[in-house]
Amino acid sequence: MSLSSNLKAIENKIKDLGGFIETVSDNTVIVEITKDNLKEFAKWLYENNAFLKTCAGVDEREINSRFTLYHIFGLDEMGVDVVVKVSGSDKDYTPTISDIVPPAEWCELEARDMVGIRISGHEDKPKFILPQDWPENVYPLRKDFSYDYRPQSEFSKFDEELPKEVGLPIGPYHPILHEPEYFELYVEGEKVVDVFYRGFHVHRGIEKLAESPRFTYKTIPFLAERICGICGFVHSSCYVLTVEKAAKIEVPERAQFIRSIVLEIERIHSHLLWLGIAAHILGYDAGFMQLWRIREPVMVLAELLTGSRKTYGINIVGGVRRDIDESKKRKALEILRNVRDEFKKVVDVLVSVPEIVKRASGTGVLPKEDARKLSVVGPVARGSGLERDVRKNYPYFAYRYTSFKVPVYSEGDNLARTLVRIDEVFESISIVEQLLDALPKGPIAVESYEIPPFRKAVGAVEAPRGEDLHFIITGLGRPYRWRVRAPTYQNLPALKVMLRGAPLADAFLTIASIDPCFSCTDRAIVIHDIKSDSKKFVNLFYGRRYASR
Amino acid sequence: MGGDMQVDKIAKLTKIVTIGLKTGRVTIKYPFGAPLVTESFRGAISIDNTKCWGCGACVLICPPNALSMKFEKDNIIIEYFKGRCIFCGMCADVCPANAISVTKEFELASTDLEDLKEYVIHRTSKCSICGKPIGPTSELRSVIKSQPVSEEYINLCSDCRKKLFAKAISIRFGAST
Ligand code: SF4
Ligand code: SF4
Repeated sequence: MSLSSNLKAIENKIKDLGGFIETVSDNTVIVEITKDNLKEFAKWLYENNAFLKTCAGVDEREINSRFTLYHIFGLDEMGVDVVVKVSGSDKDYTPTISDIVPPAEWCELEARDMVGIRISGHEDKPKFILPQDWPENVYPLRKDFSYDYRPQSEFSKFDEELPKEVGLPIGPYHPILHEPEYFELYVEGEKVVDVFYRGFHVHRGIEKLAESPRFTYKTIPFLAERICGICGFVHSSCYVLTVEKAAKIEVPERAQFIRSIVLEIERIHSHLLWLGIAAHILGYDAGFMQLWRIREPVMVLAELLTGSRKTYGINIVGGVRRDIDESKKRKALEILRNVRDEFKKVVDVLVSVPEIVKRASGTGVLPKEDARKLSVVGPVARGSGLERDVRKNYPYFAYRYTSFKVPVYSEGDNLARTLVRIDEVFESISIVEQLLDALPKGPIAVESYEIPPFRKAVGAVEAPRGEDLHFIITGLGRPYRWRVRAPTYQNLPALKVMLRGAPLADAFLTIASIDPCFSCTDRAIVIHDIKSDSKKFVNLFYGRRYASR
Repeated sequence: MGGDMQVDKIAKLTKIVTIGLKTGRVTIKYPFGAPLVTESFRGAISIDNTKCWGCGACVLICPPNALSMKFEKDNIIIEYFKGRCIFCGMCADVCPANAISVTKEFELASTDLEDLKEYVIHRTSKCSICGKPIGPTSELRSVIKSQPVSEEYINLCSDCRKKLFAKAISIRFGAST
């Protein structure tokens, strides 16, 4: 189906439901609909093969005195984003669509917590993003909430549903690894029967900060790059891509190529890092050492091309800040050739190590239907038979000038996700080689640009962990609203499916297999002793012993 | 048959030993070995205080506020705090005086916070009418150099400049002084 015929179908459906199409640009359609018809439209879209990418609550009182919830759907086959807009006052209730579109739950709760959009169906749920002692009716993403305001916590509200025996957990901050997440695995004997996840412990309010006078369009790429320590370039790329889309800025081809090249180098180092850690988790430390040794020249290459091993700092709106000259190009091709040879040798051994293959195959299974229902992204989706890749579905930067395969495995287990990543390393090396060979001449950034206010755009970049999504409403000097949805946000809910009913011993690898950042995983759990109906809070390592007794 | 496959498999597994032996030791004797960074590396910046005008462009662009500007009695002080610097080099890109260079310096650890700070101090010029501070003397000098402005005006604060200008205009239109 082409966009025009697809658009017709959307138009008709919208007309039926009494809504209207607000704008259509390159590959984004924004539709407005009343809250009573939201559910039906969402259902229709989801049944017609759309994925839910995320939703975003926006305080639009300064523009139109309303609060708006944007649900962002993606029609992968057509490469079209459909943004569904529902607005009202802060008294109005918007119905949840999470019963039909499960991945909407998190972002709806986030919009409720951060912007104060009322959502019927979620009234009783405890705070999701904000800490439990955050005062009532204080919404940090509202425009009248100053970015440097710190409200007093209200401890009286801390009447938690946590089991009494839990007390204060150790953590959830890991002393060595970063990005705390917190899981509670409920086990019966050795079997995991339920999973509880609580995240956002280190919510840094980056979206809010970017809306503050502290930042401008020019400096936000450096902030965006710090969203993730491993795939930061993805975020700065996605930010500039979205701003450029909103303001219709034509970026020079050479800059597009350089961005794609650096993005792929980032994917190579990220996958090598993950593969090393996976080997380490499974006790194969020889593999871990070798994989990380191979990774090192990739880091050096990144520094050679950008000036820094990580947080490259070369993206700006309208282009890039560092060029690739002939000598760097030659160096890069040489490094990549070596990396490919070395990686091939080590991977050959890796996939024949029984402790890797046996522990990974058949564990942490995510069936295709669940993957589809949860709109998972990246290697998690591709390991479960979904052919989703932003680089193919919604081409951006220089990917249309390259040819590459999107590896897909249908087993949905930990091995499938591992193999996807292994194949992708080879594909990425080939992409960088192709792009370096075809690097066009010309400038690397536009001289000047203008960003008109209140334009909307959706931008997506394929991160090593899957689709990274940014949604921007432009403002004066800086975005009016900047919504960031990292890939792990979309993949974490799938862990419930992967872990339930599986042996506890596989939980380590399974949690790691979605490639989140780790600290969360070996933290602490609650053992629910069904027989005595008591709960105990223990460290996961200890828990393993406890469970196998 | 099965036995052969077993042997093959084990032979394959032991390849990791060959790979390891062939590669040898890859860790280096830091800090005695070859330089750790490539030619493109961006480290701490250095501000040449003989070139700097004190215009503040670098302070405005610096994403993490590593550069700041303080007004103290007769001086304007630009402070560079390496502890906050993200080594992006944006300041060097915008500096109109080419006073900032990006160095390869990254071994910055210190037990004294002051070691991480650098200052450029400018004398403040004062408005010749009301005495309010108006900006770094060196900046005013550079402005005069690049575009000839009447000294009378450049030495005034914006308020007095406006007043004087309004007065000049009104005289022109016949008001009594
Ligand atoms: S002249 Fe350069 S270094 Fe000095 S304040 Fe201006 S931008 Fe900064
Ligand atoms: S290099 Fe970047 S962070 Fe450091 S002082 Fe300059 S602008 Fe600020």
